[in-house]
Amino acid sequence: MSSAPVISLDRVTFRFGQFVALADVSLHIGMGQRVALVGSSGAGKSTLIRLMNGTLQPTQGEIRAFGQELSQLKPQRLRQIQRQIGTIYQQLHLVDNLRVIHNVNAGHLGRWSFWKALISLVVPLDLPTATNALTQVGILEKLYERTDRLSGGQQQRVAIARVLVQDPLVILADEPISSLDPQLSRDVMELLCQICEPSNRSLVVSLHNIEFALRYCDRIIALRHGRLLFDAPTGSVSNEMIADLYRL
Amino acid sequence: MKKLLVSGFLLLSLLPLAACSNHSSPSSSANSAAQAKTFVTGAIPDQDPEKLQRLYGKLSSYLEQELGVAVSYQPVTDYTAAVTAFKVGDLDMVWFGGLTGVQARLQVPGAEALSQRDIDARFHSVLIANKNSALKPMRDAQELTNLKGRTFTFGSESSTSGRLMPQYFLQQAGVTLTDFKGQAGFSKNHDATIELVTAGTYDAGALNEQVWQKRLMEGKIDQSRVEVIWRSPEYYDYHWVINPSVKQRFGEDFPQKVQAALMKLDPTVPEQKEILELFGAEKFIATKNENYAQIEQVGREIGKIK
Amino acid sequence: MTKPASRFFIAPSLLWGLVGLAAIALSLWQAGLFRQAVFNLNGFPLLWRFVVASVHPDVSRNLLDITLRASLVTLAYAVCGTFFSVVIGAVAGVFCSEVWWLEVLQANHFRYAGFQIIRALLAFPRAIHELIWGLFFLNIWGLDPLVAVVAIAIPFGAITAKVFSEILDETPRQPLLALINSGVAPLAAFLYTLLPQAFLNLLSYSFYRFECSIRAAAVLGIIGAGGLGYEILLSLQSLRYEQLWTFFYALFFLNGCVDFASAALRTQLGCASRIDLNAHHPPSRNRQNSHRIFGLFPIAIAGVALSFWYIQPDFSKVWSPRSQQLFNQIVQASLPLDFSALPHLMPLSLETVAMSVLAIAIAAIGGLLLAFPATQNFFLLSRVLNRYRGDRLLPHVMLATARIVLLLCRAIPAPIWALVALYVLFPGILPGAVGLGLHNLGILGRLFAEVIENLEQPPLEALKAGGAPDSLVFLYGVLPLTMPRFLAYTLYRWEVCMRETVIVGLVGAGGLGRALTEQLSSFDYPSLGVTLSAFLVLTFLVDWISATVRRSLRASS
Repeated sequence: MSSAPVISLDRVTFRFGQFVALADVSLHIGMGQRVALVGSSGAGKSTLIRLMNGTLQPTQGEIRAFGQELSQLKPQRLRQIQRQIGTIYQQLHLVDNLRVIHNVNAGHLGRWSFWKALISLVVPLDLPTATNALTQVGILEKLYERTDRLSGGQQQRVAIARVLVQDPLVILADEPISSLDPQLSRDVMELLCQICEPSNRSLVVSLHNIEFALRYCDRIIALRHGRLLFDAPTGSVSNEMIADLYRL
Repeated sequence: MKKLLVSGFLLLSLLPLAACSNHSSPSSSANSAAQAKTFVTGAIPDQDPEKLQRLYGKLSSYLEQELGVAVSYQPVTDYTAAVTAFKVGDLDMVWFGGLTGVQARLQVPGAEALSQRDIDARFHSVLIANKNSALKPMRDAQELTNLKGRTFTFGSESSTSGRLMPQYFLQQAGVTLTDFKGQAGFSKNHDATIELVTAGTYDAGALNEQVWQKRLMEGKIDQSRVEVIWRSPEYYDYHWVINPSVKQRFGEDFPQKVQAALMKLDPTVPEQKEILELFGAEKFIATKNENYAQIEQVGREIGKIK
Repeated sequence: MTKPASRFFIAPSLLWGLVGLAAIALSLWQAGLFRQAVFNLNGFPLLWRFVVASVHPDVSRNLLDITLRASLVTLAYAVCGTFFSVVIGAVAGVFCSEVWWLEVLQANHFRYAGFQIIRALLAFPRAIHELIWGLFFLNIWGLDPLVAVVAIAIPFGAITAKVFSEILDETPRQPLLALINSGVAPLAAFLYTLLPQAFLNLLSYSFYRFECSIRAAAVLGIIGAGGLGYEILLSLQSLRYEQLWTFFYALFFLNGCVDFASAALRTQLGCASRIDLNAHHPPSRNRQNSHRIFGLFPIAIAGVALSFWYIQPDFSKVWSPRSQQLFNQIVQASLPLDFSALPHLMPLSLETVAMSVLAIAIAAIGGLLLAFPATQNFFLLSRVLNRYRGDRLLPHVMLATARIVLLLCRAIPAPIWALVALYVLFPGILPGAVGLGLHNLGILGRLFAEVIENLEQPPLEALKAGGAPDSLVFLYGVLPLTMPRFLAYTLYRWEVCMRETVIVGLVGAGGLGRALTEQLSSFDYPSLGVTLSAFLVLTFLVDWISATVRRSLRASS
């Protein structure tokens, strides 16, 4: 583990009403790490990601990002922290009747003033950043297309381009490849690694598929029924551990 | 489940149909039977509807006594509705204005103008003005041009004293509807005209002189704020019109009986005096269709009769 | 569709928005704003008296009795009217659904043409406002409750038929085809597949129609059909504001109950929105609740029977010789039509369109402003937009106030609002537009609020998680997600506003409705026929424009 952690959870529990989604989870994400979150559906992966980016607040325990405890922050300050945490969701999370350019530019919203954002809705601003991001994800030609006309894989790339524009220190990705075919899944995972590696960004990606986790990540965090099952470097994850994870 | 859904749907559409056809036929025939025996009166809603309700309630009980048949009063919402209801046969006898009476008789062959108040043979409209408007009482019809550029309201569209004749006299003096400020309003009845002009919503308005006199006597008018500025020449106005269908239901001589009953109203009998007072009349007199030839002619000129 | 290729590409919504603004500006000019006196400042004292009376309505025993009876009459009209419109809608809806002709009857080209003719014919009863139907039947049947019931049933039946047929056509056909292909008789297959599949959507729409019927029943009071609308008009004419407000509150209460019950039932059925105008009726979600609804059938049937008993419409009038004779009389009196007033009708038609544009502008802007505070999830519950809130009282107060204002606006019929507006505005199209605008504001605001309540949360969550402040989440998330729906509803309501211009015309607001009133009071049937035809043409024109714009917006979405 390198330097100070970018995100750390200390004995975090999260409940939806009576249902315990996460119980007593502690972990640290370090700078430049590529972390896979694995576990079956309902294990608490999405909840964990929403806790890390400040969308949810823990029922118990503490979450710190860049040394700040999220639940203690005023809205203004929280937003400043959130700018450094980019999240990629499944394609549902794009505003699909806006054009691609606006969804990509939404990465700027943490920094832009209201008026700048308003003007940009009419005449898109800061075009170079957006074209640059879309070139990186390989769909520059879709710049002015309406988002809902894009295929699932293309929409996922738009979401990645948005995060590129946001230019955060940490990227969280919630099941980014769950609805894609194997070839597209490989492309998207490679893309995620590509955009993290050179800038030493941290990547936390939740995955259904353990092979992808083993192949692209250097650390695996496994959740089972809301509890931390194991948290180990990829090299030390054994077949028994994996079998245990998916045991019914 | 599907079966249930379908049968439920069919049930929903069929049952009430059966239900309503079952019960409605006997009740509706009872309805029309009762209607056949009741002599239904009505009136154009020219004044405060509540006052009309009181007035015609009293008149109905008087007529009931005199004629020996059930008499009821059926209120309507506007002048046109009164004419329509008379035409359709919902109303047997209606207290019409000059214009509406002509309209009604033109649509119901055989309908007769039966009776009118003593004042109706020499009826007048008055123009009133809000005192803040600086409109001064006029000495002759030529001065009506002073109204140009002012705000102005009539009563009902079909009112003889509140619209037809005032508009006619205004036109004679060279004032057309487009000469007013904004568009001319239609307050719907004479009391509303008084209210609107008193409140200053309109600078001036036209109404029935009798209603004005009556409200003046009742002390309902704030004379510090509103005054009469012009009195029109005389013309024939309000009258009772009776539907010829009553002859089949109550006997050939029924119109004469009603006419007699109306003319018999006696100011020396306290109860009858009250009715006459509510009508603003000394007594009722006979009238005939021919008396309204002038109204008909003006109506055609203004376009209210085709 | 052409591919937007440039940075300066203007979205169709923006383009139509600009067209809309231009139309509003032109309409304001047409209304006489900036050109002539429109405000009658002298009327404010009366308006003030009207407003003040709202805090001390007349609650005398006698008046409360009248109010109760009038409310029951209005309710009964609405129940009976809805009953007939649903029956008409169910029968005619099946007969003008494409699926019935294509799959059940397996129609050839010739028959298919017949289907299209039926569908087109239904546009006529729909285009004529229920008040005009009421006036027409008043001339044949006289003052009978039947007039109100049929006046609601005909246009609403035609609308219901259209919507029912659309619902049937959009219901998945595979189960139907499967049965037909396995040799089941088409009619039986229809009854066992399409009908139960679409049933909840049909039911949900029927409830919405009931809400509309309540409002229509109130409006019909104005032509003398009785009920609350009638009492309100009488008190307004005699300027008895204390009584007026008692009736207002009764109407408010009645509308509130019906809207609430209807919404509760829809939630129970799992149909989230009243009318889904973006033309997809997804199969309802929680069907397990649907069987509960059958418990309501006996109640509904009893309600319908009671309503018919209470108002006692005289059905014998429908085929009585007297009605026949009066009908012939009217037809004879109207023919030949008198086209001499036609040149005069042109400017009036423009006025009418201008009135409808202004009305919908008022309704849309006001509805938009009130819809957000009237939404449960926006300021109150949403974890997305409102994480750190200091006190919870203010959003609650805002919610209640906005909802009450919306309800009051839609509960009071447009002509009554127009009469109130006439205190401070000169007769003309402006008071009409204000009256229509206020009434439709209440309806549109409620529809908008529903759109917001059904808003997809995930995209907003994503924006929020990226550190965007609320104002920008609104700009980049809420607005783009809701605007297309808002526009669709606004355009749909514009069509309704156009039809309703005639009813504010009856109380002295301008346009063709005003001309109609003069012709009615002059019993000038030949000209009346021409004016009504002009109305029909305008209505179809506005429907066509609205449909074109909606299609263009949908194509781009």
